Amino acid sequence: MQAELGIIRLDLLFEIISGIIALMVTYYATKAYRLTGQKRLSDLSTGFLVLSAGMFGRVIGTWYFLAREPSDVVFGIVTVAYGVSRIMAYIIFVISTRPIHREPQEYDNAGISMLLMATFLVDPALEVIAIFFLVIVVLQAILNYMTTRSKFAWYVLVGFVLLLVSHIMMAQVGVAPGLYLLSQGAQLLGFLSLLVMLYQAGRDI
Amino acid sequence: MMRAIQSEGEEGAGPTKILYSANLSHDRLTQYLDELVEKELIKEMDPESNNRSYLLTEKGREFLREFVRMERFSEAFGIEI
Repeated sequence: MQAELGIIRLDLLFEIISGIIALMVTYYATKAYRLTGQKRLSDLSTGFLVLSAGMFGRVIGTWYFLAREPSDVVFGIVTVAYGVSRIMAYIIFVISTRPIHREPQEYDNAGISMLLMATFLVDPALEVIAIFFLVIVVLQAILNYMTTRSKFAWYVLVGFVLLLVSHIMMAQVGVAPGLYLLSQGAQLLGFLSLLVMLYQAGRDI
Repeated sequence: MMRAIQSEGEEGAGPTKILYSANLSHDRLTQYLDELVEKELIKEMDPESNNRSYLLTEKGREFLREFVRMERFSEAFGIEI
């Protein structure tokens, strides 16, 4: 039991660090949006904000769960809210990082809202849905890297690939529980890659 | 425009150089130059002289540095600005 609690605490620490990095990306994207007026940066900022909100929500919810009598209801709500927030964030990433050579399309707000709402309906397969959207995000990041060959695009690609790996591991936790912490570690490494990108991009020329 | 001015260093960039670098019409160029001067991002080297030349101000240099940072950040995610 002690070992399990230790793993959960370590997991929460990883989650807090990842959440802080997600907030830093949010701040940077908002700043870039204000300077340039590029709508996609605002969408990117929203995506990372949703992601960090989900992470901090999970940390707070898990603490609540640990500090009080274990409640399946609270735990269920936290798990579903966390999974749904991540899927919403990944859908926003798919939209905001879509390849630039395509014809610009007007957002179909109703369509997107329905898509976001639909995530609430599929509760048992949240990880699989997250993997599906992250695969698209990763493919877009690959295309972007192949086009620009920039080291900044490389860090983002590595970050998203590690996030994808973390979700694939998480989906396997049922058969191999040991993957749980590895999954959280992969997620943390993914966010650290984004942090390196922020640091490098913010350096003076 | 600001990059064209920056590339000329302390010499300052004349309107023709800026016009060709930024690929602007003369009317647009005049409008944007006035706007940049008004925002204190660039300054005219010698307003009395007939040969106009423009230099970046400290505020302009800082703006350009910040813009490059944001450009790198956007490029990392495949977002064109």
